[in-house]
Amino acid sequence: MMKTLRQSTLDTMGLGNVIDIFKNGTMPARTEDLVDEVFGKSSDRGAFVISGANGIVGAGKTMQIGSRLLSYDVPIVALDFPGAQDGIGMQYKGLEGSFGPRNAMDIMSNVIRMHYDGNRLPAKLKSMNPRFLLEAIPEILEVKKKHYSVFRESFPSVEIRSVTSGFPSSELGVGIAHPAFPHQINKIWEIVEDKPSAVTRLFWSLGMIPLEVGDYWSFILDVLFCGITHASLQYHHASNMPVWKIDKYVRRQFGPNPFRAHDAIGAKGANFLTWSCLHHLAEHYGELFRPTDELTYRKDSGQNWYPLNHFRPLVNWTLTESEEDEMKTWILGPLVQMTSLMLHEQRGHLSHINAIGEICAQFRSGILAMIRKIGADEAISRVETYHKLCPSAGGGCWYPEVLKKIEEPEWQQLYVNAEHDGTVGLISINRESYNSDVDAELNRAIDWLKAESIDRVILSGDFHIATQLVGADTSEFYPALHDEKSGYAISLNWSRTARRFNDEFNVSVGFINGKRCLGGMLELMMHCHYLVANEATQVGMPEVTLPVIPGMEGCHWPFRKAESSDWPKLFELLLTGKAVGSKDAVGWLVDYSGSIEDCLKTVWDIASGGDHNLSQRKIKSESMKMAISEFGLPDSGNSAFEASRKAIMQCVQNACQASLDEAVTVQAKHSAEFMKSDLCRFGVIGADAKKVLTV
Amino acid sequence: MNSDTQMFSRARIPYGTWGSSYFPAWQTSALAEVNIGQFAGESMNRILGLRRIPKSELEYLVIGSTIPWHWKFWTAPLVASCLDHRIPGYHVEQACATGLQAVVVAAAEVHGNSHDVVGVLTFDRTSDSPVGVFPERRAHERTHALADVWDNFGFDPATGGAMMACAGNAARKYKVDRREVDELAAYRYDQYFQTKETNFFDNIMVPLEVLNVQGKFLGKIDDDYGVKNISLNEMRAMPELDSCVTGGTQTHASDGMATLLVTTKEKAQELSPRPEIDIQFVGKAEVRTYPSLMPESPGMAVQKLLQSTGLTMADMTVVKNHNPFAVNDVVFAKELKYDWKKMNKTGCPLVWGHPQGPTLTRVIIEALEEAVSLGGGYVLIFGCAAGDVGIATILKVTDGGK
Repeated sequence: MMKTLRQSTLDTMGLGNVIDIFKNGTMPARTEDLVDEVFGKSSDRGAFVISGANGIVGAGKTMQIGSRLLSYDVPIVALDFPGAQDGIGMQYKGLEGSFGPRNAMDIMSNVIRMHYDGNRLPAKLKSMNPRFLLEAIPEILEVKKKHYSVFRESFPSVEIRSVTSGFPSSELGVGIAHPAFPHQINKIWEIVEDKPSAVTRLFWSLGMIPLEVGDYWSFILDVLFCGITHASLQYHHASNMPVWKIDKYVRRQFGPNPFRAHDAIGAKGANFLTWSCLHHLAEHYGELFRPTDELTYRKDSGQNWYPLNHFRPLVNWTLTESEEDEMKTWILGPLVQMTSLMLHEQRGHLSHINAIGEICAQFRSGILAMIRKIGADEAISRVETYHKLCPSAGGGCWYPEVLKKIEEPEWQQLYVNAEHDGTVGLISINRESYNSDVDAELNRAIDWLKAESIDRVILSGDFHIATQLVGADTSEFYPALHDEKSGYAISLNWSRTARRFNDEFNVSVGFINGKRCLGGMLELMMHCHYLVANEATQVGMPEVTLPVIPGMEGCHWPFRKAESSDWPKLFELLLTGKAVGSKDAVGWLVDYSGSIEDCLKTVWDIASGGDHNLSQRKIKSESMKMAISEFGLPDSGNSAFEASRKAIMQCVQNACQASLDEAVTVQAKHSAEFMKSDLCRFGVIGADAKKVLTV
Repeated sequence: MNSDTQMFSRARIPYGTWGSSYFPAWQTSALAEVNIGQFAGESMNRILGLRRIPKSELEYLVIGSTIPWHWKFWTAPLVASCLDHRIPGYHVEQACATGLQAVVVAAAEVHGNSHDVVGVLTFDRTSDSPVGVFPERRAHERTHALADVWDNFGFDPATGGAMMACAGNAARKYKVDRREVDELAAYRYDQYFQTKETNFFDNIMVPLEVLNVQGKFLGKIDDDYGVKNISLNEMRAMPELDSCVTGGTQTHASDGMATLLVTTKEKAQELSPRPEIDIQFVGKAEVRTYPSLMPESPGMAVQKLLQSTGLTMADMTVVKNHNPFAVNDVVFAKELKYDWKKMNKTGCPLVWGHPQGPTLTRVIIEALEEAVSLGGGYVLIFGCAAGDVGIATILKVTDGGK
C-alpha cells in the first residue's frame, strides 16, 4: 500500500516515487541505458547537435551537456553561421576552472564545430548521424520552424528540443527544453513534451533538473522573471524611481535584481527576450503583460539599464513605510496575479513552479512559498489594490479562487514530501538549504507519517530538485544579527524538529547523496539513528568560516554519538570548516558509506528491519566531561577566525557538559549570542545582510 | 490691462509640479562635490516622482546654467539622460536672469506648438567653479586664467568695473541711505525666517540625499546651509565694502537646482494636483541701463512691462525679485514708488543665496505658491543680470477654487 502526502516530482518524469528507489535498491533509470536509447548503441552511436552553438545559450549548454556526455562517446556537434562570434571558445576558461586543463581539453576535443547557412546542412553532418538536436537559434518563429524542417528533411528520426523561452511547443511542432541562466551551471530545464521522454530522463540521470511544465506561451521562469521585471517597470513608470534603486528594493523584498540581471546577461539580448516574452503574453492574455514604453525603448535601443560608471547615481531615493508598501503592491500584485494564471492553467507541479523562481530567478523564497506566507487573503487584497493603481491589469487573467487551495498538501508541502508503503516512511527534501519553510514542512511531514502509524523513516534529498544539501539558508539569520531572541528561536525550533527523527521513530535513517551535505542539513541528518552516505559525497560543518556557531546541535550531538577517541576528528570538522569525504567519516559521524546502489540497499535494510550488520551508535544522554584545551588546533594567525573557533569550542564544552535534555537550550543560547556578536555581524552573513537589506 | 495682452496664450505652468533643492551656500554641502548637471537631472526626476508626474510626460527640456560643468557640451540631452528620459532640448544662459529666461523660452516652445510639455531645469554649482584658460594676446602672460564665478563678479569686461561697484554707483545715484538698506536687509531676513516657521516651503523645497561614487551617503541637502538670521544691529555693524554694500546687504554664492514644467492648458489640468488653478504668461520686458548701474535696471524693466500690459503695481498680488544687493530693492521702491515691505514676503535671493542659474526659477516658484495661497492674482517677477540688464515678467494665477 503506497501513499504519498503529495505527488512526487520524480513521478512527473515517469520515475515513480522516491521510496521506490530505496525499495528497489537502484536508481529508476541508468545513464548508460538512456544514452543508448537517445543516441543509439555504442556501435551505432549518433551525435548530439546544438544549433546556434555560439550564442549565450548554445555555448553554455554545449559545455554543460558536453562535459556530462564525455564518457559516453557521444560526439557533440556545435552548429552555427560561419560569421558568428566564437561563443564556444569564450567558454574554455570557465571549463578549465571547473574541470582542470586536461579534462577541459578532453571536453573541447569532443566538440565538432560545423557551419551552415541556415538553408543547407553541412554534408559531413550526415556522417555524424545526428540523433538529438538542441535548437538554440534566435527567437523568431518562422526561422525556427524552417530550421526544424531542414533537419527533418535530412534526418527524419532526429529528436528535437527547442530552448525557446516563449513559443509553445504547439506552435513550434517540437518539444521544449528551456534552460535557465547561467547556462553553463544552471541545471534547471523546463520541459514541454507530450509524455516524459528518454531525453528528459537522460538529462535527469546526467545530474540536471528537468521540470515538466505545461505548453503555454512563455514558460514559468519567463513569466516570473519577465513578470517581476515588468512589475518593476510599471512602478518605475509610475514613480520615476531609477531602476538601480528599484533593484535594491526588489532585492530586499523578493530577492532578484531584475535590471542588473538584464545588464549582466547582456542588455541587448535580454531586453529583447523580456520584451518578446511580455509581448506574446500580452497578445495572448491581455494588458497584465503589456510591455511598458520604457522596455520597448530599451529593446529597440539595446541600451543598458544601469548608468555608465561615470554617471553612478548621485541622488538617493528613500521611501517612507507607506510608500514602500505601495511599491510592494506594484510588484507583488502582478506577481500574484500572474501566478494565479499559471495555477489556473495547471502549468506544473507546484514544487516546480516554486523552485523555478528560487533556483533560476533569484527569488529568496519561491513565489508559492511567498504567497503561502502572506496568506490567500492578503495576496488577493494586494492584487485588488494593484488593480486600483493599474486598472488596465484588472481586465482579466485573475483567478483568486486558486489561492483558496492554499491549505491543500500541494501548497503546504512545496519543499518536503512524505511517502510510505505501510511500514516504512520516507521524507524527502527538495530545497538545498534549510529554512523556516523547510522546517515547518518537515514537521507536517512527520506529523502525517505518525498519523499514518509509520514509525520507521528514511530522510533524504528528493533525487531531483535538490542535487545537494548545503546547510542553513543564512538569510534566515538576518534578524538574529540584531535580535538575540530571534536567533534563539531559530536554533531551538530547528533543533527540536531535528530531534523528532531521534525521538519519535523506532528507526530513522538519514541518507546523504549528491555532491555535499553541509552545516544545518548535516546536523539535521545526524539526528537520525543511522546515517548513510554516498561515497562521492562530502560532509562538512563550514560554520566557522562564516562565522556562526552551529545551531542545530552540531556542537554536542555528534560528540554524544562518537567515542571520545574520535572527538579530535569532530573538532577538526568544526574548527577548520573543511569538508571530508563521507568514507573518511564512517564510524564517528557516518555509519555507512559506499556506492549508490550499496547505500540504497543499506538504507532500505535498516529502515525495513532487514539485515544490515550495522550497530546503532547510541546517543549519550548524560553530561559528558570534556577538557577542550586538549582539542585546540594550531593557531591560524587570523584573530577573528581564532575567536570564532574559541566560541565554538566553548559551545561544545558547555553543551556536552549539559544533559541531553538541557543541551538543546545551551546550544541555542550560544548560537544566538554569537549571531549578535561583532564577529558574526561583520562576517559573511552580516555582509550579506547589509547588501540585501540596505537600500 | 490691455485686453489683448497675453503672452504665449497656449502656455501654462501647471501648479504643484515644481520643486527646488535647497541652496546651500558655496562649499557648505555635498553639492560642492557633484557634477551639478547630473545632480540636476536626477533631482528633477525625483521631484517629478514626488509630484506623481511620470517623466515620460516630458517632451522637451530647457536647461539653464551659467557656470561650466563637466560635459556641458552635451547640454540638455545629457541632462535628460541623467533623468533617464532621452529627449531633446537645449541650454539657455543669461547670467542671473537664466532662471526666468528659461521659463520664458519654454513657454515659447509650447506656444509655438513644438511641444506640449516642456521641462525647465536650472542649476549651478558655484563651489569650486572651473577655471578657464584662454589664449589672450593682449595679456602679458599671453594666456588668461579665469575662475568662472569670482573673476566674473569682479570684472565686467564691458565697463571694467566690478559687480559690487554697480550697487555702489546706484546707491549714490539714488542717494540711498545706508540705514534704509540695513533696515531692508534685516527685514528680508525676518521675512525668510518667519516663512521657514510655516509650512510654506513644503510644496517647494525638496530635501535631497547625495551619494558618493560608492553609492554611500555623502550628505543631505535639506536646508539653505550657511544662512543665519542677521539682526538689524548686526547689519549696521558690518563694514561697508562700497556705498551701502556690506556682507549682510549682498547675496552669497550657493549651489542648487530648481525645476518646473511649462505645458498646454490641457496638459496642465491633467498633470496638476489642482487642475482648477490656471497659471498664464502675461508679458515680459527687458532693458539695459547705463554702464555699471545694474540695480536700477529691474525697475526700468518693470516700468516697461507695466506700460505694455496696462497693469499697475496696485494690480500685483505678489511682487518678488532677484536682489543680489539690498540696494536693488531700495532703488526699485524709489523708481516705482512701491513699499518694499510688500515685496519678497517669503524670502529672496539676498537671503537664501544665489546659485545663479536656478535663482529666478526658485523666485518664480515661491511667488506662484504665494499667489495660490492668496487666492490668485497677478505675479510680478523681476531681477537684474550681468551687463546692467533688467528683466521682468508678469504671470496670472487664476484659482478656480477660490
